[in-house]
Amino acid sequence: MSASEPPELPEEPSEVVYRRPAWVEPPADVVPGIVPVELILARTPQRAIGLSGIRAYPTGFGCTLHLRLREDIPGEQSNFGAFNMFGDGVDPAGEFADYYLRFGVGFADGRKATNLVQRHDFDEGPAPDPPTLWIIRWEGYDRLAWELDVWVYGLPPPGPLAFVVEWPARGIPESRVEIDAGLVLEAAARAVPIWPDQDAP
Amino acid sequence: MVPGVVPVALLVARTGTHAVLIDGLLVYPTGFDFDLAVRRHPALPRHQTDPRVWHELWLEVRFADGRSADNGPGPWPRPDDDRPPDPPLLYQSVIGPDGGHVWLWGLPPPGPLTFACQWPSEQIPPSQAELDAGLVLAAAARAQTLWPAQAVSP
Repeated sequence: MSASEPPELPEEPSEVVYRRPAWVEPPADVVPGIVPVELILARTPQRAIGLSGIRAYPTGFGCTLHLRLREDIPGEQSNFGAFNMFGDGVDPAGEFADYYLRFGVGFADGRKATNLVQRHDFDEGPAPDPPTLWIIRWEGYDRLAWELDVWVYGLPPPGPLAFVVEWPARGIPESRVEIDAGLVLEAAARAVPIWPDQDAP
Repeated sequence: MVPGVVPVALLVARTGTHAVLIDGLLVYPTGFDFDLAVRRHPALPRHQTDPRVWHELWLEVRFADGRSADNGPGPWPRPDDDRPPDPPLLYQSVIGPDGGHVWLWGLPPPGPLTFACQWPSEQIPPSQAELDAGLVLAAAARAQTLWPAQAVSP
């Protein structure tokens, strides 16, 4: 095949009935209600973690974490360490590495979800008890800035909703910021079904 | 910086089987980013789509003064050119079956901010929706500088 010829088309795409379970991502058929939070969860002279833009659904909520390094520090671990998809954030003894960013949410009734517990067998078994926390997008703009989109399955009860971070290798101790969970519940109530009058295509 | 948030998710297109949302609008003084989110009706079986089809979801952002940017192929600023490009410039950093993630360089002037899209291969016709650019400008004003006027430690 010459460079000027188009590549061969693959075989006809197969139809797949598989769908991801509801607890691993926001519902596809809902426009979320937005809570315009703009929080700085932790800040040192060199590193900071922000959180913004809660997108609330009847089944849970998403938000974006902003990881910011002011400059490179020679010798510092360069890995943002924000997820453990491949087990690389855990040492052989099962301890999370210092560079691993710890993030979690805490509900007023004591329940919590963190990225220290990430279930990867979501094709199997029943849905977990909410809340659970799942990182659904990560993107690095350069060596100094990363974004993480987080999905929290399960809505909080009324009361304080806590966001907690800890990043030992970056000098950020456990830090906690609370908002009123009522903001999330009100936004979830504003979420709008995309196909309200249609059961199936 | 920590961005300001536009408190709106915008439904740009909807057919019986698909919808396109502009979601997660996060604004900085130099521009804004957002999710270009394709939603499929939950009763619709998922297809293994050809990745080339993903690139056919066309998006254009139009400012009230007539300027616009889209995710079409270039022309792109030369990487060795230190001068910033004239805004608006649209860069889609993530492209996939569920849409993608977009950075738009440049803030809109006051007036309607239009998002237009079409995706012929998924039967999404030309569609558009408007947002008050004032919401974007207000969010830009709320973006927080993390280390304002502070000397970097040696």
